[in-house]
Amino acid sequence: MDRKITIGHLYPDLLNLYGDRGNIACLTQRCRWRGIEAETIEFELKDQIDFRELDIVLLGGGSDREQMIVCGKLKEIRQDFKNYVEDDGVVIAVCGGYQLLGEYYQTEEGRLEGLNLVDLYTEQEEGRIIGNIVLESDLVSMPVVGFENHGGRTCIRGNKPFGRVLYGSGNDGRSGYEGVVYKNVIGTYLHGPLLPKNPQISDWLIARALERRYGDSALEPLDDSQEEAANSYIFHRFVKQ
Amino acid sequence: MKIRRIAAVWAAKGAEKISRHIFHRQGVTWAGKIALKIDPEILRELAGQIREAIFIVCGTNGKTTTNNILCAALEAEGNKVVCNHTGSNMLNGVTAAFVLAAGLDGNLDADYACIEIDEASTRRVFPYFKPDYMVLTNLFRDQLDRYGEIDITMNLLKEVMQSAPEMKVIVNGDDALSAFLAMDAGNEFITYGIDEQVMDQKESHEIREGRFCKKCGALLKYKFYHYSQLGDYTCTGCDFKRPGIRYAASEIEMGDGLSFTVEGRRVTAHYKGFYNIYNILAAYAAARTARVELPHLNGMLSEFNPENGRMEQFQVNGTKIILNLAKNPAGFNQNISAVMQDGQRKDLIIVINDNEQDGTDVSWLWDVDFDRFQDANVNSITVSGIRCQDMRLRLKYAEIPSMLEPDVEKAVCGRIEHGCGNLYVLVNYTALFSTRNVLRRLEERKTWTER
Repeated sequence: MDRKITIGHLYPDLLNLYGDRGNIACLTQRCRWRGIEAETIEFELKDQIDFRELDIVLLGGGSDREQMIVCGKLKEIRQDFKNYVEDDGVVIAVCGGYQLLGEYYQTEEGRLEGLNLVDLYTEQEEGRIIGNIVLESDLVSMPVVGFENHGGRTCIRGNKPFGRVLYGSGNDGRSGYEGVVYKNVIGTYLHGPLLPKNPQISDWLIARALERRYGDSALEPLDDSQEEAANSYIFHRFVKQ
Repeated sequence: MKIRRIAAVWAAKGAEKISRHIFHRQGVTWAGKIALKIDPEILRELAGQIREAIFIVCGTNGKTTTNNILCAALEAEGNKVVCNHTGSNMLNGVTAAFVLAAGLDGNLDADYACIEIDEASTRRVFPYFKPDYMVLTNLFRDQLDRYGEIDITMNLLKEVMQSAPEMKVIVNGDDALSAFLAMDAGNEFITYGIDEQVMDQKESHEIREGRFCKKCGALLKYKFYHYSQLGDYTCTGCDFKRPGIRYAASEIEMGDGLSFTVEGRRVTAHYKGFYNIYNILAAYAAARTARVELPHLNGMLSEFNPENGRMEQFQVNGTKIILNLAKNPAGFNQNISAVMQDGQRKDLIIVINDNEQDGTDVSWLWDVDFDRFQDANVNSITVSGIRCQDMRLRLKYAEIPSMLEPDVEKAVCGRIEHGCGNLYVLVNYTALFSTRNVLRRLEERKTWTER
C-alpha cells in the first residue's frame, strides 16, 4: 500500500528560531528516500487546523515576544490539539514549543499560559543554559546529540524524560534529565537542529505516525553513515575521550 | 598622567610587533589589552584628541567593509583617520586602534576615527567615549548562542544609543528592525536605502527576520524587497512604515561590478555583491551627514580592495581563488548570490568552525538556502573545518553530494590540483584567518612543486 505522511508545521512565521527547517527537511527526505510520500503544511495564525489530516505536528521555538503572540492563539486550538495527542498523534516540540506543551511558562514579564497537553511547567531563572548537549534515550540506541539554549527551567513532574544527560544541562540543570516523552509526543530543548544528526529519532517519529495511520510501521533501512559520523563526532568530542 | 600613557603606547606597539613578527599573528587585541592595563584612561584620552568626529559602525553584517570604505573615503579627502581595519571590534581591539595610531609621545594626530564595534561590546566601549555618529547597517539573526535573541541585541543597542543622546544615527531605512530601533531610541537619525526593485523577489525564500512590526506585532507588507527583510515595508496594523530615505540609491546596475546614483551622482565600484551597494551607501551617508564632500569617492573606490577575506582574490598555480566570509544566514545567502553571478564552472569549499567567536551553535546552517547550489554551475563541493560533518549533512538533505576534508589546507590543495581552475572558498569567522594564511602562503610560493 502506498503510504503518505502529512506534517503540520505550526506557525513557522513566528516560531522559526534555530533551524527548524532542518527538522522538516529531515522528516520529509527520510520518507521520500523510502518511497513514502511526505507533505508539509505550514499553518499561519489565521489558518484553521484540521488535526485529523495530520500525522506529525512540529512546534518550534520563537523569541519570548513571538511566543506571547502564539500563546493567545493556542487557546482556540487547545481542545483539538489535546484530542490529537490523546489519540496517539505524533508531536515533536522543540525549545519554546516544548515549553508551550505544558501548563505555563513563568517569565520575568509575566505568565504565558501553555496548551496543557503534558503535565509540566517552566519557570525562567537567572542565566541562560547554552551549549552542546548529549543524551542517552530509551527510544533509540544511538546517543542523542544537539544544542540547547534556554532561559526557562522545565519541571516534568511524574512524566518520562526524553533522555538522561551525559553532557550539558537539560531540563533544569539539576535533575540530570532532558525533555519529555508522553504517548507519541516528544518535547525537548535540543535543536541544532535535532533530527538530522539523530536519524533514529526521525525514524521513531515516522514509524509512530505510520503505525497510527496504517498499522504498519515498517521502515526500510537507509544508508546513515554520514548521520552516524556527525553524531559520533559530537559524542566523542564531549563525552568519550 | 601623560607618562603612563606614553608607557602604554610603547608597550602596546612592542606587543603588536612581537606578536606579528615572532608569532605571525595579529597582535591587535593583545596590544589593546596591555595598553588598558597600564593606563586605564588611555582610550578616553586618545578618543578626546580626535579633532573632527568619531564614527562608529554597528550592525550584524557589513561592519568591516562599511567602516573601511568610510575610512578610505575620508582619507581620500586628505584627512587623517584612526580605524580598526582588521575588524578587531571588541573593547581591546577598539583601544588598540587608537593606541597603535598614537605617536611615541603618546598623542594622536587625527581628524576622524572610524571604529566598528561588536554590538555586545558597545556597552563596554561607550563609557570611554561618546561617538558623534553611529552607522547601523542591519540586524539579522547571528550567533544566537552569544546574544540570546535578536530582541536582546536590539534592547542592548537602544540602551547605548540613549546613553549618547547627542549621537546621530545613520541607519539603513530598508531594514524595519534597524529603522524601528533608531526611531525607538529617540536619537536624531538619518536614513539611507535602495529605492527600487533590483532582484527577482522569487529568487530567495529566506526566512525574513522582521516579518512582524516591532511596534504593534502585525504583519509587514512589502512593496518590494531586496534580501532577508530589507525592502520597502508598511505595517498592516499601525502607522509604522519605511521612513523617508535621505540618501537613496537608484538606477542600480550590476554586472562585473556595480553602480548606482545617489544625490544625482553616479557611484561606481568594481566588486560584486549586491550588499556592497549598502556598504558604500552607508559610508557615503555617514560622511555626508558629517558634512564631508566626497569629490574623490569614485577614484578611491576604483583602488579600494575589500581584502580581509571579503571577496578577496588569490592566484595559485593557475587557479583563481576567491575567499569570502559568511557567518550567518543573511550573509551566506548573499554569498551564494554572488557565487551564482559567476556563470563559469566552479569548485566550492565551505569551511565551518564552531569556536567561541563563530557562535558555538551551528543550527543556522539549516536556514541558509544551499539548495540553490543545485542550479549553479558547480563542479564540486568540499566541506571543511571543525563542523564539516554538520555541513555535509546539511547538503545531503538538499540532495547535494560533497567531499569531506576537515583540514583546510588539504582541501584547498586538492582543488588546486584536481579542480576546474575557478575556486570559491566560503568560510565563517574563525576559519577566515587560518584559511587566509593558507592561501597567502600558497600564493607566495614560487613554484607549486615546492610544496
